[in-house]
Amino acid sequence: MKILIVEDEPKTGEYLRKGLKEASFVVDLSSDGIDGLHNALEGEYDLILLDVMLPGMDGWEVMRNLRQKGNEVPVLFLTAKDQIEDRVKGLELGADDYLVKPFSFAELLARVRTILRRGKPSVEASIIKVADLELDLLRRRVSRAGKRIELTSKEFGLLELLMRRQGEVLPRSLIASQVWDMNFDSDTNVIEVAVRRLRSKIDDAYEPKLLQTVRGMGYVIESPLQSSC
Amino acid sequence: MTSFSLTTRLTLFYTLVSALVLLGLGWLTSAAMNQHFDALDRAGLQDKIHLIEEVGAKAESKSDLQKRLADVLHSHEGLIVTLQTNGQTLFATEALKIPDAAIKNLSQESKTQKLFNWETKDHQYRALGALISTPLIGDEVLTLWVVLDSKLHAHFQEHFRFTLAIYVILATVFSGLLGWLAAKQGLAPLRIMKSRAQAVTSNKMGERMPVKTVPVEMADLAQTLNDMLDRLQEDFRRLSEFSSDLAHELRTPISNLLTETQVTLSSKRSNTEYEDVLASNSEELQRLARMVSDMLFLAKTENGLTLPSQETIAIATQAQALFDFYEALAFEKGIYLALTGEGLISGDRLMLRRALSNLLSNALRHATIGTTVSIKVETINDKVQVSVINHGSMISEEMLPRLFDRFFRVDKSRAHPHSDGAGLGLAITRAIMRAHGGGVTVTSRLGETCFSLIFPKIDTDNHAINAND
Repeated sequence: MKILIVEDEPKTGEYLRKGLKEASFVVDLSSDGIDGLHNALEGEYDLILLDVMLPGMDGWEVMRNLRQKGNEVPVLFLTAKDQIEDRVKGLELGADDYLVKPFSFAELLARVRTILRRGKPSVEASIIKVADLELDLLRRRVSRAGKRIELTSKEFGLLELLMRRQGEVLPRSLIASQVWDMNFDSDTNVIEVAVRRLRSKIDDAYEPKLLQTVRGMGYVIESPLQSSC
Repeated sequence: MTSFSLTTRLTLFYTLVSALVLLGLGWLTSAAMNQHFDALDRAGLQDKIHLIEEVGAKAESKSDLQKRLADVLHSHEGLIVTLQTNGQTLFATEALKIPDAAIKNLSQESKTQKLFNWETKDHQYRALGALISTPLIGDEVLTLWVVLDSKLHAHFQEHFRFTLAIYVILATVFSGLLGWLAAKQGLAPLRIMKSRAQAVTSNKMGERMPVKTVPVEMADLAQTLNDMLDRLQEDFRRLSEFSSDLAHELRTPISNLLTETQVTLSSKRSNTEYEDVLASNSEELQRLARMVSDMLFLAKTENGLTLPSQETIAIATQAQALFDFYEALAFEKGIYLALTGEGLISGDRLMLRRALSNLLSNALRHATIGTTVSIKVETINDKVQVSVINHGSMISEEMLPRLFDRFFRVDKSRAHPHSDGAGLGLAITRAIMRAHGGGVTVTSRLGETCFSLIFPKIDTDNHAINAND
């Protein structure tokens, strides 16, 4: 997967490149709008991370040019502007998502993966497995090592999200938004408690532990046998 | 237009009024005097006419009449009498040409004769004419003119008017001066207030207008100004407190980050230690980021930007969604959640959730184990009230009004920096409610704390349109 980052702040650009590389993406970095547009048109990218405030040509302009030239590459805007109008403008110009600075890297990664997954014919499996943990989407049942586990509907939703995105660290804000539709920074404590309760049902009595807390970032479900992707 | 000072205005006004009054009085006096002299002269002249009529009645011949008249009239100085018949002068004390206008106006009715005035070079005459008849001359009508030289009267009147005018001018000037003094004296409290107002600065907000020592009319103004100063002082105090709180809240995590990072860098550490520090930094930075975005949200909401979206929202549905969210937390703390009532409001769904979420999270934090936290939706008159009620520790009376201040915390010790927010939650809730044209209130008594969100009742017409959409 090839990603182009257009970002003029050197430190931000460099860290984004490093982070995405380590998440096994191929990453190019442009530091101004004109250069960025040129690269975007030349290179075959799967996704472009586009800053709005750029020297030479701003993000909106880059976006407009890109779409005018018939390039349909997915774009994720990164910006410090969080006015509703800016958000609407970005999305109207054909961007796929919008992330307000400062954002957590885990959040960015989660969103990047969501965009890249989109549009791909995913084989909708009715049963998701991680090690010996099984989630049956059709019958809404969960079992581990063959034993049935009773979950509340929200716990089921939480587990489903984590299992669908297994191996990805999901930030608390993303979990709150996806599972409970809470689209603002609320008490992160609530997610902690919910995860703790889920863990007590699916992990406490079993080995190995599947649901991990990544301190300072979020939560991830992965089988210790698998290497993270 | 230059605007005159109040003293100048009052002085001018007072002078004008005095001038008018004095002029009026002068005119009245002068007119009364004229009238008096007119009446006096008319009476005198009429007396003479009667006298001459009597003399005419007793006379035996024309020459006898002339002689008698000369006898009677010779002692009356300044009195001119002419007696004519058919244009022939029968008798005249001295030669005097009676103006034609007067002759023309002379009518048969002697009673209603007008006093007739005219002037020559040296003299001023005042005359009364009469048509008389005597048996001596038969049916012929005699024209009699009795004329008074009124030069003396006129002179006196002129002098009197001149004196009056001087007096009026002097009195006007004098009363203007008095008016100026009175205005200056009367406005002295204003000058005191001005000097007090000049003394008020940001460091010296304690200065107040004198209320007891100024006149009643100004006491009201002074009190109003004092109230304004009170409000400003309170706002100013809050603002300075806010700035120092903000500085503290922002500096603490930054200083933590700096110290932690620099201490770690000062010597070689194990990988685990590095990981720990980075994770801790990440937490601290998230806290900082959240605070900044909360502050920005507050600033935007408080600056009265319009609601991002306006829709009809069923409160019960939103409350239920929040219960789902807080369910695990409540369960862990052994707290029950209950919802009663329902209602519709118009507003932004995300903002409403946020406002209610802040209240619910506070209620759960302060509720006693085993109690119920409830959300009650009621329609009271033209308001929809959403109350979040919890049982537990009380909030003291003096804390209540300050709860909604930014960065205000009941517990100042900051012992639980991670579970407690930065103290912006209730400020955000209030800002959201104001943006919705509503408000938030709090009561805390008998072990029960109740926060109420008050929304204006939904416009039914508007609602109908939305429902049809």
